[in-house]
Amino acid sequence: MTEPVIVPDIMRMSWGPQHPMSGQTRILLDIDGEKVHRIIADLGFTHRGIEKILENRTFLQGIIPVERMVMADTPNIGLGYVTAIEEALGIEVPERANWIRSMICEMARINSHLYAFGLQAESTGYFPAVFLWTTVDRTIILRLFEELTGARWSLNFFMPGGVHKDLPKGFEEKVIEGVEYLRRRFEEYWVAMVENATFELRCDNVGVLKPEDAIRLGATGPVLRGSGIPIDVRKDEPYAAYGDLDFEVITESACDSMARTKVRYREIGQSLNIMEQVANEIPSGPIRTNVPLFARAKAAEVLSRVESSRGELGVHLFTDGGMNPYRVKIHSPTLRNMYVFERLAELDEILVADIPVLINSIDPWYLDSDR
Amino acid sequence: MSEADVVKAIKANHPDLVVSAEVLRSKRISAVVKREGFIEVAKTLRDDLGFKYPVSGGAIDFPKEEKMQMMYYLMKPDSKFMLIYKVDLPRDDLKLPSLTQVWEAMSFHEREAHEMFGIEFEGHNNMIPLLLPPDWRGGHPLRKDFKEEGSEE
Repeated sequence: MTEPVIVPDIMRMSWGPQHPMSGQTRILLDIDGEKVHRIIADLGFTHRGIEKILENRTFLQGIIPVERMVMADTPNIGLGYVTAIEEALGIEVPERANWIRSMICEMARINSHLYAFGLQAESTGYFPAVFLWTTVDRTIILRLFEELTGARWSLNFFMPGGVHKDLPKGFEEKVIEGVEYLRRRFEEYWVAMVENATFELRCDNVGVLKPEDAIRLGATGPVLRGSGIPIDVRKDEPYAAYGDLDFEVITESACDSMARTKVRYREIGQSLNIMEQVANEIPSGPIRTNVPLFARAKAAEVLSRVESSRGELGVHLFTDGGMNPYRVKIHSPTLRNMYVFERLAELDEILVADIPVLINSIDPWYLDSDR
Repeated sequence: MSEADVVKAIKANHPDLVVSAEVLRSKRISAVVKREGFIEVAKTLRDDLGFKYPVSGGAIDFPKEEKMQMMYYLMKPDSKFMLIYKVDLPRDDLKLPSLTQVWEAMSFHEREAHEMFGIEFEGHNNMIPLLLPPDWRGGHPLRKDFKEEGSEE
């Protein structure tokens, strides 16, 4: 007797864009019962044409729209654009400004990773309180931002040639105080959340992405490092003060959702170390070199890269001698990771209940992928 | 293998297909190839020179020179060199074989270049709009001659 051919009864399910666990995008799932056969990401709900907007702004004006790409992580995005301008215009940055930049970028990374960690806990369905804890702990960082820059989210603090203002008096002590508090909290998170048996059940072996697939599909950031590949722009091409700072590139070998969460979690620890180092060892000196307000760059092509919280952000800037960029191509980390997310259904067995865990382990920020 | 060695190897492998190849600065290499040898050179880059890691892709419009340039960004995971792989297209004939047959992750970037610049990618298996709405009829927004509907210019 021959085996009967079983044709899976495929149903297409639309997930989002108003679903709390999808963010501002729509995901189409081809499902057969609980099993997901295919994932299709329908992006573009938050497309604002930032690349086109930048062509019509002077170099300095462009910093404001470009930071709107990722609100939880504005300094890292802004730094990518600002370093590209500096290279195109040939501007030197004083050492103290570079150290301040590194510290603010790491604070933003903690802010963004805490948000991702809270959402990841929320997506497993068991710990609604954790998102509130991380939100409360984020205010430590946001208060420091507010004192330094006057804004809590969109800082616009970096400018070509340096930073806007010097650290206020006594700021270093407040940073150390915040670091010590957050370290204590993270020990509690680790015991209560990461090593929690229920959390492990939901995250272990979900969405396994092997290292060779991660490279082939172009994954970036914690998704790539969660597959055990130590690629981090901060180490590969040190920008700001990262060449002088002491930190590790975090990798995990398990390749699943849990590994990606652990990478983020342990990166927060590294960021806290960097904050402490900067607060203790920051060199004195000027914080800005003077740059003409309406600078003209000669015709050039510059590709700058920074490590944002979600992965590598590249800014490819073309100038033609005018006051505006000729073209700005932004390499968005979320767009690359969303392609990996689409392919995961073919690489591993995924159930509908895993989708929220999976999507938050990628940590997408759709305003970043849509630009 | 230094940046200069990579440039030499690219030129030596396909002397008649590579228009130019140069080191922009440390860890940045730029190579312009002819459209005919576009896929062939890409396969050499991936298999022999180790550019296995696709990063991104995008296009740029040069209306004065009557051309557009499609750019792909590739990385060598061991030495972290970034290669900008470029191909020139005349503005009246924007056709290019799809690079998804070499790096499948270029799919999203080609879809974006298609809607934003109007470049046709032959052999791409899913050419639907990525960021623009499905019923968009306003042209290709990132072209230099794009006029917004209702703008006074």
